[in-house]
Amino acid sequence: MLIDCDVHVGYDNLLDLVPFLDGPTRELVTHSGVNGLAMPSYPWYHPTGWIRKDAYDAGEVAVGRQIPGQGLETVRRLLLDRYDVTYGILTPDEAAAFSIIPNANLGARLATAYNDWLVEHWLSEDARLRALIVVAAQHPAVAAAEIRRRADDDRFVGVFLPGGSRVPYGNPIYDPIWRAAAESELPVAVHTHFDGVGISPPLTSAGHPDTYTEYHVLCGSGMYGHFTSALLSGVFERFPGAKMVMVEGGVVPFLGYLWRLDADWKACRSEVPHCRRLPSEYVWEHVRFTTQPIETPPEGEDLWPVIRHLRPERTLLFASDYPHWDFDEPTHVLGLLPEEAREAVAFRNAAELFRLSVPVAA
Amino acid sequence: MSVDRVREVRLTAADLPSPGRIAMVEIGHHRIGVVQVGGEIHALADRCPHRGAPLCSAGQVVTGIERRPDGALELGREGTLIRCPWHKWDFDIASGTCPVDAQMRVRTYSVRRDGDEVVVSLDRAG
Repeated sequence: MLIDCDVHVGYDNLLDLVPFLDGPTRELVTHSGVNGLAMPSYPWYHPTGWIRKDAYDAGEVAVGRQIPGQGLETVRRLLLDRYDVTYGILTPDEAAAFSIIPNANLGARLATAYNDWLVEHWLSEDARLRALIVVAAQHPAVAAAEIRRRADDDRFVGVFLPGGSRVPYGNPIYDPIWRAAAESELPVAVHTHFDGVGISPPLTSAGHPDTYTEYHVLCGSGMYGHFTSALLSGVFERFPGAKMVMVEGGVVPFLGYLWRLDADWKACRSEVPHCRRLPSEYVWEHVRFTTQPIETPPEGEDLWPVIRHLRPERTLLFASDYPHWDFDEPTHVLGLLPEEAREAVAFRNAAELFRLSVPVAA
Repeated sequence: MSVDRVREVRLTAADLPSPGRIAMVEIGHHRIGVVQVGGEIHALADRCPHRGAPLCSAGQVVTGIERRPDGALELGREGTLIRCPWHKWDFDIASGTCPVDAQMRVRTYSVRRDGDEVVVSLDRAG
């Protein structure tokens, strides 16, 4: 069995959402700019292509399809069928931008339409698919309402927040999102995306990177901020049922931050009284990590002695990031782990977090 | 195109790819990409040594960007690299070597001319 926690899909064009939009938003989407509304995107362009070339169909591009690797048949052929994926959890591509555009009301309406589009074009088409609810994080009250609206649909298994944001997600302004997610028993997935784009500040305080390569090395930076913020601000005290999963931030960096968190908390805890225990204790209970992009030390066997300190047999979940260029193949990733951790990472930890049914462990 | 004793495949001029293109052939269970670089024909395994991606059947022939000693940038020799479709690593078409990782090498196959035909065989390239 295999659960892939990061399968990117997307519409071909924002206009695809028109059938799911209210009238005023439809008018904006159709008539803004020159050819309709467009979302902000990265100022860095991938030098050799964002997505796997075998997932790319030039013929489809010629007729206006935006990211053809995300078509259902291609996803089935190159991912779901090929690797015998039991569940694939759908994550957005461009739709993540709804959370980092300045117009919070517009972002919220687009997110709702996108979730309706997901149901019709993906979740209703293949029983292996599940999805994260896309919300406009810059409008927490409406985001919370969207979470509650989807909570009864078992095909939505969590909430998606991008790494790029106006302020870190532990800030109390986001409490409505955490409350709705916790009460709905849905984990919040923070996924590196649009860090340094739209309303989010530069990727690091060094300023905007010059190149895509610099960006990609650093793109987990927003997530490290959210990780630290959620732990120290006491999110898991305010919302004991809350769960958070860090998607596409790598694995090793979180260990370094966690060790630093524990050390600094001991010295500075009078400033962060809502964090009542060692940050690592909250992590074991409330936080999970996905594998991709798995770090690749020169000697593969050097990985486990490092990441074992994150307790992967409980906290680590497989993710491929299909169809992006930094896709991780399941056989490669699971092969880096000792036998006793593979089943947990391949599906058991994800099944528990996202409440997906799998065979009972022997 | 004809296959002899499943050890080799013979290609006529019509079978050969134009520069920048990749022609796929099979010898037994070997899937092989045939590429023309500067009038020379080369044959490589359709398997990336990094993660096993279909290097030739889904990859592309590209030209490298190189830095001269004076710091200026220039294009390398045209179409000498093949780029993996998954993780976008480049490999030298003639040698199968990887410019960024000496441990990685694509299997290359022997190519010889026999009259008007080009013969790709399971022998390793010289």
